[in-house]
Amino acid sequence: MTAGAAAAATAPLLSARGLAVARGGRRVLEDANLEVHPGEALAVVGPNAAGKSTLVRALAGLLAPAAGTVELARRDLALWPKHEQARVLALVASEDEGPDALTVADRVRLGRYPHRGPFRSFTAGDDEAVARALEQTGIPHLASRRLATLSAGERQLAALARGLAQEPQVLLLDEPAAHLDVGHQLQLFRALDGVRQCGVAVLAVVHDLSRAAAWASRMVLVAEGRIALSGPPAEVLGSEAAAQAFGVRIRGHRVEGVPHLLYVFEEGP
Amino acid sequence: MKTGRPPVLLVLALTLLAALLLATALGSVPLPLRGVLQALAQRSGLGGVVSGPGLDAAGEAILFSVRLPRVMLAALVGGGLAVVGATLQAVFRNPMADAGLLGVGSGAALGAVLAVHLGLSTSVFFALPLYAFLGALAAVLAVYVIAGGAGRASLQGLLLTGLAVSALLNAGTSMLLVATEEFRVKTVLFWLAGGLEGRGFTHVQAAAAFVLLGVGLLVALGRPLDVLSLGEDEAASLGLPVRSTRFALLGLAALVGGACTAAAGSVPFVGLMAPHALRPLVGSLGRRLLPASFLGGAILVVLADLGARTLSGRFELPLGSVTAFVGAPYFLLALRANEGRG
Repeated sequence: MTAGAAAAATAPLLSARGLAVARGGRRVLEDANLEVHPGEALAVVGPNAAGKSTLVRALAGLLAPAAGTVELARRDLALWPKHEQARVLALVASEDEGPDALTVADRVRLGRYPHRGPFRSFTAGDDEAVARALEQTGIPHLASRRLATLSAGERQLAALARGLAQEPQVLLLDEPAAHLDVGHQLQLFRALDGVRQCGVAVLAVVHDLSRAAAWASRMVLVAEGRIALSGPPAEVLGSEAAAQAFGVRIRGHRVEGVPHLLYVFEEGP
Repeated sequence: MKTGRPPVLLVLALTLLAALLLATALGSVPLPLRGVLQALAQRSGLGGVVSGPGLDAAGEAILFSVRLPRVMLAALVGGGLAVVGATLQAVFRNPMADAGLLGVGSGAALGAVLAVHLGLSTSVFFALPLYAFLGALAAVLAVYVIAGGAGRASLQGLLLTGLAVSALLNAGTSMLLVATEEFRVKTVLFWLAGGLEGRGFTHVQAAAAFVLLGVGLLVALGRPLDVLSLGEDEAASLGLPVRSTRFALLGLAALVGGACTAAAGSVPFVGLMAPHALRPLVGSLGRRLLPASFLGGAILVVLADLGARTLSGRFELPLGSVTAFVGAPYFLLALRANEGRG
């Protein structure tokens, strides 16, 4: 690795400083600070309605900050032309809402929209990106199937493949494993590991704490609209802050090197 | 996965051609098919291509001033309504969406009644379609402005505003109808029931200008339409300017829908049936579904109008009733099949 690349590896691709988001006059996110670096796997955890989705949507530029800034590649997100931003940053939501009659291949190909725009024809390069994305998510065999014929898990993988076809440097995911059975979950996180190893910065809201602990290189705990803690997964999950946020104490141990978590309801002080 | 798709468009185009010829030849005065072909070849400077006896003078008059404009208008109206349906279904992400959602039908009706009430139009000729067209556009614009304008209108807001504005306009239409002299009311009722009786080449030209331009632009915007159909968040995250794209698509849909409704009155179910039947064959990408829908809708209305003209020996059936009689059962069966699957 050259010195330049090494320097780039330490500069954050995406960062938030003092980020606040208001909805209906109420602050649903307050003073959020975070950085995501190239090749990093950052898990965002927290109880329901803590502000995790709000954080992700604000980082993707879908919600305007009420205060603070989001910077993508050291440039204020608000200053990015939207189509240029979409070539660098991709968002995958927890629910695929594509039309039923769309085929998986066509759905994934729409991930090339930021690169081709409304009128230019898709190229062989686009087809390669689509094929790679299908390969990475393990669904090349579904390419010609219509979305209506897929299971929720397969649809979710197709949605992820669309995000990968964008060939972003930053990949944001909002509960990507929400509807997945364990096999599809493994497939999804394996795909995320694959792109992460290629230097993509991956930030995912993850509900399953064991999965988050096993996958993430760093973890952010969001509680009551604030980032309560951030650090190595074991540290964050074992913290007093996590116990308070979830209302349960979390104990971790390792089985064959993989973290397993126990949740224990707190009894008194 | 790509093979088998172009033939669908080809088959549709050939079917439309056959339907056009059939509908041109058949009617209260049947014309011989060969004669029709020969007269058409003659008129388009291809004389001699088709041999055999031509049409007599009366036959030619029927062909060129009655039958042909009517059949062409049927194709334009059917194609336009189907494209509008397919577009709105993608924009609203709902296979039930059609032009009625935006207030096109109720706006056009109020405009038509106003034209008749003011005595501007005692027949279905020019003031009525013009007022209907303007009424449709004004209604859509009102829906858009009330729902929050180009910058803020949400999908939900548009839907609910469309319903409310339509109900208000319908109330206005009823009030105006009550206050209109009785002999004029019938004109409006005929128009409201939908039909192409007495339409000439002027109507064809006026409708073609808006329908062909609008449909062409909508097909060109097929890819933004596809992106939009993935949902607002995903579309925005792909860099699509969601609100302005939606504004452009809805504006074009209103233009085409307004022109079709102005030309033919209410022709229900075409915008639902054609895209619904074709989606399994061509998929949901706009660049394919919209052209296929245009052809499918055109076939549907050309044949429906043929039925309206010929099914009853004594009088013309309203075109809108014919499409409803076909469309409503189709729709219910499709619904049943859908529920059986889910």
